[in-house]
Amino acid sequence: MEAIWLYQFRLIVIGDSTVGKSCLIRRFTEGRFAQISDPTVGVDFFSRLVEIEPGKRIKLQIWDTAGQESITRAYYRNSVGGLLLFDITNRRSFQNVHEWLEETKVHVQPYQIVFVLVGHKCDLDTQRQVTRHEAEKLAAAYGMKYIETSARDAINVEKAFTDLTRDIYELVKRGEISIQEGWEGVKSGFVPNVVHSSEEVVKSDRRCLC
Amino acid sequence: MFGRSRSWVGGGHGKASRSIHSLDHLKYMYHVLTKNTTVTDHNRNLLVETIRSITEILIWGDQNDSSVFDFFLEKNMFVFFLNILRQKSGRYVCVQLLQTLNILFENISHETSLYYLLSNNYVNSIIVHKFDFSDEEIMAYYISFLKTLSLKLNNHTVHFFYNEHMNDFALYTEAIKFFNHPESMVRIAVRTITLNVYKVSLDNQPMLHYIRDKTAVPYFSNLVWFIGSHVIELDNCVQTDEEHRNRGKLSDLVAEHLDHLHYLNDILIINCEFLNDVLTDHLLNRLFLPLYVYSLVNQDKGGERPKISLQVSLYLLSQVFLIIHYAPLVNSLAEVILNGDLSVFSSKAEQDVQKNSAKSSIRCFIKPTETLERSLEINKQKGKKRVQKRPNYKNVGEEDEEERQSEDTQDDLDKTKSTEASSKGIRTSSENEEIEMVIMERCKLSELSISAVTEQNTTDEEKSAAASGSEITNWNRPFLDMVYNALDCAEDDYYALFVLCLLYAMSHNKGIDPVKLERIQLPAQHAEERNSYNHVLAEGLIRIMNYAAQPDGKIRLATLELGCLLLKQLVFSKNGSIIKDVHLACLEGAREESVHLLRRFYKGEEIFLDMFEDEYRSMTIKPMNVEYLMMDASILLPPTGTPLTGIDFVKRLPCGDVERTQRAIRVFFMLRSLSLHLQGEPETQLPLTREEDLIKTDDVLDLNNSDLIACTVITKDGGQVQRFLAVDIYQMSLVEPDVARLGWGVVKFAGLLQDMQVTGVEDDSRALNIIIHKPASSPHSKPFPILQATFVFSDHIRCIIAKQRLAKGRIQARRMKMQRIAALLDLPVQPSNEVMGFGHSSAAASQHLPFRFYDHARRGSSDPTVQRSVFASVDKVPGFAVAQCINQHHPSPLSSPSPSSGSGSTGRCDSVAASSASTPSVAQSPSDDSSAPEQPRTTISGQMTLTDETLSAVSKSSKNAVKNSDIETANLSPSLIPAQQPTISLISDDNTDALSVESLTLVPPVDSHSIRTFSCIPQPSLQSELEVCKVKEREEECSD
Repeated sequence: MEAIWLYQFRLIVIGDSTVGKSCLIRRFTEGRFAQISDPTVGVDFFSRLVEIEPGKRIKLQIWDTAGQESITRAYYRNSVGGLLLFDITNRRSFQNVHEWLEETKVHVQPYQIVFVLVGHKCDLDTQRQVTRHEAEKLAAAYGMKYIETSARDAINVEKAFTDLTRDIYELVKRGEISIQEGWEGVKSGFVPNVVHSSEEVVKSDRRCLC
Repeated sequence: MFGRSRSWVGGGHGKASRSIHSLDHLKYMYHVLTKNTTVTDHNRNLLVETIRSITEILIWGDQNDSSVFDFFLEKNMFVFFLNILRQKSGRYVCVQLLQTLNILFENISHETSLYYLLSNNYVNSIIVHKFDFSDEEIMAYYISFLKTLSLKLNNHTVHFFYNEHMNDFALYTEAIKFFNHPESMVRIAVRTITLNVYKVSLDNQPMLHYIRDKTAVPYFSNLVWFIGSHVIELDNCVQTDEEHRNRGKLSDLVAEHLDHLHYLNDILIINCEFLNDVLTDHLLNRLFLPLYVYSLVNQDKGGERPKISLQVSLYLLSQVFLIIHYAPLVNSLAEVILNGDLSVFSSKAEQDVQKNSAKSSIRCFIKPTETLERSLEINKQKGKKRVQKRPNYKNVGEEDEEERQSEDTQDDLDKTKSTEASSKGIRTSSENEEIEMVIMERCKLSELSISAVTEQNTTDEEKSAAASGSEITNWNRPFLDMVYNALDCAEDDYYALFVLCLLYAMSHNKGIDPVKLERIQLPAQHAEERNSYNHVLAEGLIRIMNYAAQPDGKIRLATLELGCLLLKQLVFSKNGSIIKDVHLACLEGAREESVHLLRRFYKGEEIFLDMFEDEYRSMTIKPMNVEYLMMDASILLPPTGTPLTGIDFVKRLPCGDVERTQRAIRVFFMLRSLSLHLQGEPETQLPLTREEDLIKTDDVLDLNNSDLIACTVITKDGGQVQRFLAVDIYQMSLVEPDVARLGWGVVKFAGLLQDMQVTGVEDDSRALNIIIHKPASSPHSKPFPILQATFVFSDHIRCIIAKQRLAKGRIQARRMKMQRIAALLDLPVQPSNEVMGFGHSSAAASQHLPFRFYDHARRGSSDPTVQRSVFASVDKVPGFAVAQCINQHHPSPLSSPSPSSGSGSTGRCDSVAASSASTPSVAQSPSDDSSAPEQPRTTISGQMTLTDETLSAVSKSSKNAVKNSDIETANLSPSLIPAQQPTISLISDDNTDALSVESLTLVPPVDSHSIRTFSCIPQPSLQSELEVCKVKEREEECSD
């Protein structure tokens, strides 16, 4: 019954309000609550398993800060990765991507968060205000991947999360991100077989010096 | 059983195609629940599915059909949920149930539906259920559930959670038990829950009293202890650090402290007086004063009181003042720092009202005697017992007398208790009662103490007013003394930076009473009229500036910038600067030093200009943000020089020559700006390129008499347009003819020459590739090309002309700017030399910019020779021959714009001659010029020293001669020596000062007579030069 996972990654989802953060999360966690008609279903906390390779499962954890009074550094600092959302039909939200990155940087220094840039609501292509090309350029300038998603049509939602998970997994495997006492960004979990055990035990004092 | 459940799920869905969301379906679900009251391995999935389905129906019902709620309530369906929970059915069911409930409450939008769900106290039963909190996921869903509920709190729903008669508020008390949970997300959720509760309590007196009387002291005292423990850990981290290895941990702890301060501030700004009194009391007397402030003066190790190091204490206090603006708190804290002495910590109360009231025995950072959980437990029991005796706090007034008596006895008890410190013994119920009373008493007293503080302020204010202007003597303010002492940075600015931050934070704190700051004559941000300022502080600040301008100064840029900010604030009154002359003089001295410092780095190299402009840009774009600065944990460790730490440049010392140059540039900018600001003078020289001076798109220019080259511009995306290329002094522009006026053009594009790259096109001799970059606006972004195009000209000759002109223009533009920098540094301006085609700068300017920098009136009044020469240049459109000439004589004149040694100095030297002898007409025509330098190059190269000496003599005699120019010369690198040529002094004039730079920007018409008279200084070596020139000039006149 217990889920067996290799690592647990804590992720954040940030971006301007109304870009559809909760919709995206909901779509990702859906399957269970597909029938709920209310479009404003929020998810406060969720965890879900993602299989990145056959037999290698990663547990993803997302805490939503809805209703939070002020930005808490701990929210950023205890995350290993994140989805940075903007709405392709809302140019402003795209322009604020830079602000979000700066803010994150201030809060997490001297560490870094692995981000994927997500152009959301790509089903509304006719109202597009941000071209794929410029979004890709921006993402490249910050060393992020870019992906366009739609929660409504379930386009790329799964992929956005799994790609990010895979990237983080690679960094963890290469030792560029390491598990640290007291840090909740990455945790090692139950090991499905003995072969992997050597990877997990390694604990270093640095997780990501940038 | 399992089989059945499966088939049900399938069947359920089959049926549900009709109506999954219906009352009937809910009834069916109810049926399933009644059949499965015991959780087993087999029906576990079924039950979870059932609960989910019920949730879905309820959410649907909330929107569509309230009858489902009637049914839900009627059948007490919540009982089933509880029943399932209580069966220890394992984490799977727990997690699913909590998640489901979470979604249920989150998505219920109708108030009445919510009432249904909350009625009968079932939700409270779930809240107090003992879940297995060691399971991370259960913990997460549980606390999220509480958070969701807290977001649903309002005046009506609060009654479902707070039970006035039972003195029970499970949602709140259960939540705060996790205030120190190791999982940070849980702590964040707890904070959110408490804030939501406090907001609602404003309108609910009984609840407010409950929170304050039963929970505030235990919660806040434990919270304060928790914060303090982190601070001790933080301090430990700083003290044990070696080679910045603890930085990661340190920044975590700093982030934690910041989160705490923001949380405390969030509570305080709800502005619930009752709570704020208790919180302020605890923060001040249990944390800020006994730990932070106390550590300011007692740095010796040992002693019983816990201490932190000075830098940590200053740093944390700065954060407090930056974040918390609650007046009673910040004023009391500032009062002690600025005016207090150690007696605030001595336990013996003296005659002073304030000290007496503050119950000094409490001013100690000690661990709460019991855990929060235990305190809550005790209070709850007691509450039940005391219900009859005193139902609520409102009746207190009636029992005033009685209370006062008990207070006194309690006071004594309290004292003995705290002195014994270890009295963790068995708590009797009478002691418990005391706790409650202590709070009430303390609240009153803290109010008292606040009023007492203000009283004292006024008296002290009078004192200080009496002492104002004169040196403040025989004070006993150990904390303030310490602050001032830490400002000293003879060794380094480790502590000084924190002191500046603290003073800045205090003076910018909205809650602070300006009177408090007046005490140290530090004005608040928008202070009123005054005529004196704090000399001690001002001198400390000026000393920092002096150190910063020293070559080996150990002042970080952040410190200097903050120092400048504070000094401005300090000496600026409403009506301008009130700085004393002597201070201004010292400051000017520092500025002068900074000029000298930068001169050491001034080089003819291209990169210097880019650095200069880049530093200016980044300084203006990103001014100091003290709040961000104080978030950075890295400044807590001793200042370091190496960039390998990843510490931002402004927060460390420079490393290597490039960074030292950057630093010198910035120091120069800051002190220059400060000096101008204090003297009320506007900045006219910086930035080097001002937006308003530039040609912009859609400008309409008079292009009569300008050199224009027709071309086709092919952009990267394939667009093609016909344009005329014009080269301005700083810019190249693409224009198209103006339809309205003949000879005028509309600018379609303008870009800075200095940021341009020109390359030939391999297989097309008529075409050039041109890229112009926009300088990066932030250090993170790459330079962005604003023009990337191929220019196709009508033939290869025009193409070469264009190439030459652009390339020369680029060098010229850069040189002009370098000269302006030189002028800013009081260095004699180098004449432009290498670019043959342009020669004298004024000529070049007049040649290329008749339409912009000269208006007709000015040109009319200018010297006829100049006028003539302008036309001469126009007549003599440089053709292919020019380019050829240049190519012959200077194989690569463009690639070596500023040689720094060897042959370079030869080149310079001949330019010495050329420029000192030049008249505007000499240089303006490249074709004529080409032969001239050829000769003197050989004749003069050997006499450089001589020339130099004579010229520096000239420069001394001239009005804008640099002080100590000899010494300067010695310090300069060889490449700079030719810079001593006093070009400016050649244009001998009364207002040389104005000319020194103006001549470069505005290129005023040069009075050729004055030049000639000056250049007639007998100088054998130059004589021949002059001859040549004059001959040439004559020739020119003839040709005209």
